[in-house]
Amino acid sequence: MKPADWLEREVLVCVGTGGVGKTTVSAALALEAARLGRRALVLTIDPARRLADALGTGPLGHDERELPPERLKGVGVRPPGRLSAMMLDTKRTFDDLVERYAPDAVARELILQNPIYRNLTDALVGSREYSAMERLHQIHSSGRYDLIVVDTPPASHALDFLDAPRRLTGFLDSQLLKRLFHPAAIVGRTSFRLFRRGSEGVLRLIERVSGLEFVRSISEFLLVFESLMGGFAARAHEIEALLRSERVGFVLISGANPDQARRAAEFWSRLSREQIHLVGAVVNRVRTWPGASLPKLPTESEESKALGWLEDRLGPGSEARGVLDTLLRQLALAQRDREHLGTLARALPLEPEALRTVPLLPEDIHAIDSLASLGRFVFGEAPDGV
Amino acid sequence: MTRSLLGSLLSSRLLLVMGKGGVGKTTLACVLAHVAASRGIETVVVDLAPGSDLARFLSKAPETLGHGDGRTPVPVSRHKSWLTIEPKIALQEYLEIELRFRPLASLVVRNPALKTLLAAAPGWRDLITLGKLWHLTTLERDGEPRWPLLIVDAPSTGYGLSFISVPLAVSDAVRMGPVARHTRSLRDLLCDRERTRVIPVTLPEELPVRETELLQRKLRELEMAAGPTLVNAVEPLPPLPSSETLARDLGGAPSSAPFPWLCWNQVERAITNVKRRAALQARYLKQLERAQEPVISLPLLASGVSGPDDIAELAGILEEGCAQ
Repeated sequence: MKPADWLEREVLVCVGTGGVGKTTVSAALALEAARLGRRALVLTIDPARRLADALGTGPLGHDERELPPERLKGVGVRPPGRLSAMMLDTKRTFDDLVERYAPDAVARELILQNPIYRNLTDALVGSREYSAMERLHQIHSSGRYDLIVVDTPPASHALDFLDAPRRLTGFLDSQLLKRLFHPAAIVGRTSFRLFRRGSEGVLRLIERVSGLEFVRSISEFLLVFESLMGGFAARAHEIEALLRSERVGFVLISGANPDQARRAAEFWSRLSREQIHLVGAVVNRVRTWPGASLPKLPTESEESKALGWLEDRLGPGSEARGVLDTLLRQLALAQRDREHLGTLARALPLEPEALRTVPLLPEDIHAIDSLASLGRFVFGEAPDGV
Repeated sequence: MTRSLLGSLLSSRLLLVMGKGGVGKTTLACVLAHVAASRGIETVVVDLAPGSDLARFLSKAPETLGHGDGRTPVPVSRHKSWLTIEPKIALQEYLEIELRFRPLASLVVRNPALKTLLAAAPGWRDLITLGKLWHLTTLERDGEPRWPLLIVDAPSTGYGLSFISVPLAVSDAVRMGPVARHTRSLRDLLCDRERTRVIPVTLPEELPVRETELLQRKLRELEMAAGPTLVNAVEPLPPLPSSETLARDLGGAPSSAPFPWLCWNQVERAITNVKRRAALQARYLKQLERAQEPVISLPLLASGVSGPDDIAELAGILEEGCAQ
């Protein structure tokens, strides 16, 4: 699928390993959609808060923030085209959910005051991913945007991204909590006897190795959380269906160095079982050679011939060696990247036009213009020799 | 200064190699291990993500490296072992120690209720992993530490920070009982500047450098020892003639170039790109040097880092860097 067609989806999910410029590419995709006159949003769940850096907007938060039109005019965004950005705040998303789904004020206060909830919401398995999906769902169903680009956390966590709604709700939904904890516990605020003492010997052992207070905090947390489940589960199912529908496209982002290319291929082999729609891949920061074609690495005798030629011109004992070494190094790096790009291309089920490369640029992406120029590599003609 | 930098590194018990995803944490954890082992320090490289590159960097025949039982570090080479910490195995081990009876621990671990509970319970993986690290530091043989130096290939920064903050969060949330007690030992280990040190790893690029500064700030807040900061994949810049010189001396003779890649416009563009990137890198290195932690650069190897030989090469450069 051509990159321009990626933007026809309602949601694009950018996945990949860490350190390949996923956030930047996500922002560039959203910017291109805005340039085409669409209302676009880029949502990052990256805890490293990089998106604001790439957009140059200043701090991003839980709520969508629209980039001022005058900033965007210079890169060709005109009404109705719009670009907004936001960063996920796990705790805020959960607080909102608690507000919305808590059965009553007592339950709401119990959970909001619970020490485990207050300190460890981020560490709850899948909570970040779950709340990203929750926010995505909220915003998607609001209809405020034509395209939402989601920047996911790095590799090993990206599968959690698909699993999280299922895992979290599956757990909270299970009969386990009802079996473990006294169903009446929630009624009395102070008299917590959550574990049914005596009924489960194993639970007494758990208590012995972890301590009563710990067990009590955890069980209170889980119990009150469970009261929110009705609302959670229904949404999780909707979200799962959305992610696997044709309305959502996945874009794999990778780098071209050997490790990155290998990891991207492995990553895809795990993701491919998930029944999602991979629309394309962007290989970022590819080392290229600035000629029409990539030359072969010279042999040793060719190398000394080249050195002689350079010394003749730059003077003996001059910087000729430095020039030659620098050129050879660039050649070697470009060769290496091209080779691994080929390996990656073979590993992905994509037509050539859906695999885009962005060369390693000699400047940083920290302004909207540089995002736009990155976008030109993704959406323009493929560069030479790739 | 020379001795003290490398000395304080190697006299630590626990080195946490941390940084943004993709900056080369695994590589540098192995490089540090190489330096330590070559000085006769019994070193364990600890991996928290099964399937990482660690085995490839430690051995020329990674498939022959055993994984062991997941409890005891497996010897790799002289003075060097490795261990992948799996939270589930670590939990079983912990329960065995606490309950003092293996079958009972198995009973607990296999309990379906506990399994479901653990699938979602917050933070336990981080806690139990840190607990295992702590336990390794306490083991002795003939009155000496059995594992004097653990080098951990930690999760990438965002997750890494939550990894080290969990004991702090839990000790705030839970004040009594065995979990509270163990958590306090973990916190004491992490915050003991003599025993534990975080080694930030970064690239000479904007976002990794910003993230490193964030990490350094956070570590100062937590009063943890940090540094040196290792800057990976720095492109070497040999002395190069100015663009004017190049244009004057090479620009006039395009047809005589023995190879097409030596023709003027390709040479000019390649050299200019390298110079621009080098200028950018120099700026980020300078930015890092403003922090209090010393900074050591490691070069980008054109052939990539693919095995123990590359690790040894980088280790030599690291030692040189520490000596300066």
